[in-house]
Amino acid sequence: MTLSRRDFIKTNAVAATAAAAGITLPGIKKADAADDIRWDKGVCRFCGTGCGVLVGTKAGRVVATQGDPDAPVNKGLNCIKGYFLSKIMYGEDRLTQPLLRMTDGKYDKNGEFTPISWDQAFNVMADKYKAAIKAKGPTSVGMFGSGQWTVWEGYAAAKFYKAGLRSNNIDPNARHCMASAVGAFMRAFGIDEPMGCYDDLEHADTFVLWGANMAEMHPILWSRLTDTRLTKKGAEVHVLSTFEHRCFELADNGMIFTPQTDLAILNYIANYIIQNDAVNWDFVNKHVNFTKTPTDIGYGLRPTHALEKKAKNAGKGKLSKIDFEEYKAAVAEYTLEKASEMSGVPAEKLERLAKAYADPKRKVASYWTMGFNQHTRGVWVNGLLYNVHLLTGKIAEPGNSPFSLTGQPSACGTAREVGTFAHRLPADLVVMKPKHREAAEKIWNLPAGTIPGKPGYHAVLQNRMLKDGKLNVYWVQCNNNMQAAPNMNEEGYPGYRNPENFIIVSDPYPTVTAMAADLILPTAMWMEKEGAYGNAERRTQFWRQQVKAPGEAKSDVWQIVEFSKYLKVEDVWPADLIAKKPEHAGKTLYQVLFANGEVDKFPLDQTAKGFDNAESADFGFYLQKGLFEEYRRFQFEGPKPGHEMAEFDIYHQARGLRWPVIDGKETLWRFREGYDPHVKAGEGVKFYGKPDGKANIIFAPYEPAAEAPDKEYDLWLSTGRVLEHWHSGSMTRRVPELHRAYPNAKLYMHRDDAKARGLKRGQEVKVQTRRGEVLTRVETRGRNRVPKGLVYMPWFDASQLVNKLTLDATDPLSKETDFKKCACKVVKA
Amino acid sequence: MNISGILVHANPGKVDAVSAALTEFQGLEIHAATDDGRLVVTLDCQDNNAAADTLIKMNGLDGVLTASLVYHNFEPETANENETGPVAVGLN
Repeated sequence: MTLSRRDFIKTNAVAATAAAAGITLPGIKKADAADDIRWDKGVCRFCGTGCGVLVGTKAGRVVATQGDPDAPVNKGLNCIKGYFLSKIMYGEDRLTQPLLRMTDGKYDKNGEFTPISWDQAFNVMADKYKAAIKAKGPTSVGMFGSGQWTVWEGYAAAKFYKAGLRSNNIDPNARHCMASAVGAFMRAFGIDEPMGCYDDLEHADTFVLWGANMAEMHPILWSRLTDTRLTKKGAEVHVLSTFEHRCFELADNGMIFTPQTDLAILNYIANYIIQNDAVNWDFVNKHVNFTKTPTDIGYGLRPTHALEKKAKNAGKGKLSKIDFEEYKAAVAEYTLEKASEMSGVPAEKLERLAKAYADPKRKVASYWTMGFNQHTRGVWVNGLLYNVHLLTGKIAEPGNSPFSLTGQPSACGTAREVGTFAHRLPADLVVMKPKHREAAEKIWNLPAGTIPGKPGYHAVLQNRMLKDGKLNVYWVQCNNNMQAAPNMNEEGYPGYRNPENFIIVSDPYPTVTAMAADLILPTAMWMEKEGAYGNAERRTQFWRQQVKAPGEAKSDVWQIVEFSKYLKVEDVWPADLIAKKPEHAGKTLYQVLFANGEVDKFPLDQTAKGFDNAESADFGFYLQKGLFEEYRRFQFEGPKPGHEMAEFDIYHQARGLRWPVIDGKETLWRFREGYDPHVKAGEGVKFYGKPDGKANIIFAPYEPAAEAPDKEYDLWLSTGRVLEHWHSGSMTRRVPELHRAYPNAKLYMHRDDAKARGLKRGQEVKVQTRRGEVLTRVETRGRNRVPKGLVYMPWFDASQLVNKLTLDATDPLSKETDFKKCACKVVKA
Repeated sequence: MNISGILVHANPGKVDAVSAALTEFQGLEIHAATDDGRLVVTLDCQDNNAAADTLIKMNGLDGVLTASLVYHNFEPETANENETGPVAVGLN
């Protein structure tokens, strides 16, 4: 039978969709064999869900994508952002050559962006790095990285900074999204990342969303949750948020609470569990310690800020042991009446939620994202939820699952796991512990004392140090931090444009951040390189390079490794350190860090036949494999077990594996016998991240937000995302269709609040805070329905930079910014 | 060429209304529906913008719980596009 190409494609579309729906259509089946498109497995470039995508290339260009039917995460589905995946590489304004600000042929901070060669770019960079380190030492250089880096990009960057330049001033944008989750994992369990996995979306009876709009931000996980809710008898969904969003459509119990009062609600639930004798004593006695955290800890602002001066225990987090009675007394004041009054949530709704957690017959899965994490008490509030799951023993088994979702494709796999935070080293090690540094120096073949023991500048502190002239050479890769970071007017922009500083930005596109830089490096993205991401459920997934990058664009890992050739050990290490390892004398950082007998030990012929591998071809060895295998040594030879991964080649076959992977077998639920190989027979449950194998219940009270509405600034301002755009929009805003669907940000406002200010829907307004103002338009309808007293504005729009308004208040423990709460006023434009 | 395969999950009580609303979109065909509210849909649009708009609007329809993209082909149009073939397709 002869068919047009169009009919052929459509038949494939129907077949694939029917298969994903789990139905067979008579007469329709897919005809892959006859297709002239080359299909290979990949991973979505956007959020932290980690959906598998089949990528179709033809004549050197990606021409089709399909939800990977064999991917356990998404089972053949993609969300709307998947529609734009293959287009993100083909924006008209892709950067294709390095651009340096120049006047009359020379670098000039106030010059125009001028094309130069990579060699020129790296020479200018090397001069700047050498001069800064010579003048002020390694703390004057820094880097801002990404949860969108591939695993080996993050690993290479962390090694280059911590081992090569001897600076811990490297931090990822995951600081803005995950740091509070990390802090809470470490405090409660002594080891990072969720114990459960996405399978809980089918195993749970009750789902609770705490500050997560899964329907828009994690649509594929939401579709799995929706399936369970509609097909499993008795399944129910509770949704908590400071405004009404798409998830409320499916909610059996939707709750709008006053910002910051999640702290009170969670303590009420713990109190309810105790008062109603619903504590799982068998579990608690065996597996839990009771502790409390210091209070009145400030807001992570500059130390000169009045709020910091006033705080009794600014920045403190050392836990002290208490007993159950003291814990019981501490939560006792959080009665139903009090929680309801503080939060504004009707008492019967709160009680219904508390009952769901307390009922021993119901399996409860809790999900959260930025609502919990971007919170000046983010570590506390994460911990308060663990308290509830630990009191009831509803943890680390199918369906009982407190689960921190992630917003970036490799916030876990890269940012958190390979040591890109200012205080961390690969595989959950930290720079503060001499034993951990020693282990890293041994694996990396470095002289003892190479890695500094003091944590470097975290994200928000980096911008402050740039402004203060203490951080002078600064490299940003794979993110758009000028747009993303808080308080751009007072910190970010003055920092980048400080005449003392040299700013390098690597990006595929001319983002707000790139335009604020001095040197722009054109970057290869997604399928233009071989990559690996690690998603929120500990699943590590690989893909091969599918197409060539445009022009001279090069991947982040190539940029780091190639640049390391331009610095010699003598340029960056003191003589006494070199004297401890004379073999390194006279070498380049490239020779010490990458052509070191480990990273370069896998020959080029091990790369996949029929696929490009631009980096390996350039360096003459299988770079990605070498970096990954060296990183694995931390997992097996380091002092902290529990992060083991499989050998490199296995991931090119598998649809991802969830670590720890022991003897080729992945782990679905950690800490529980029968699922986790680190828990021995007879132990039942063991929180082995802690020396005594017990998790911490941590009491923390309600404390107010850093800035609340007052008479003049009379509204809460919350920022966030929308379905069509991902984060700062640097990729999605270039896709014309997406741009058209949701071209500009708007301010969601309650119609009574609008009316009281004489504003109509669609009218132009000024949103003002103590830090700046932004022009936008009022939206009183639409998908986000805010309560009176709160306005919501998405941050994807580079023409309406909402971070001119936000306050750089952070959680003093995690250093993560609270983008959800500051005070603003709205007036006619 | 811009052809998508989309799985629409409608609230089971609202399948008829959702189906009716969907067929209003240009280039949209419903190929199958299940009892629990799943609809197998294709979207064939000449215009990229129209396809994206439709996909986004679909997500916002009353009664639609999720609309997920399964398959998407956007290979460049060629002069002889419709002459491609003969191609063996698994139609019985």
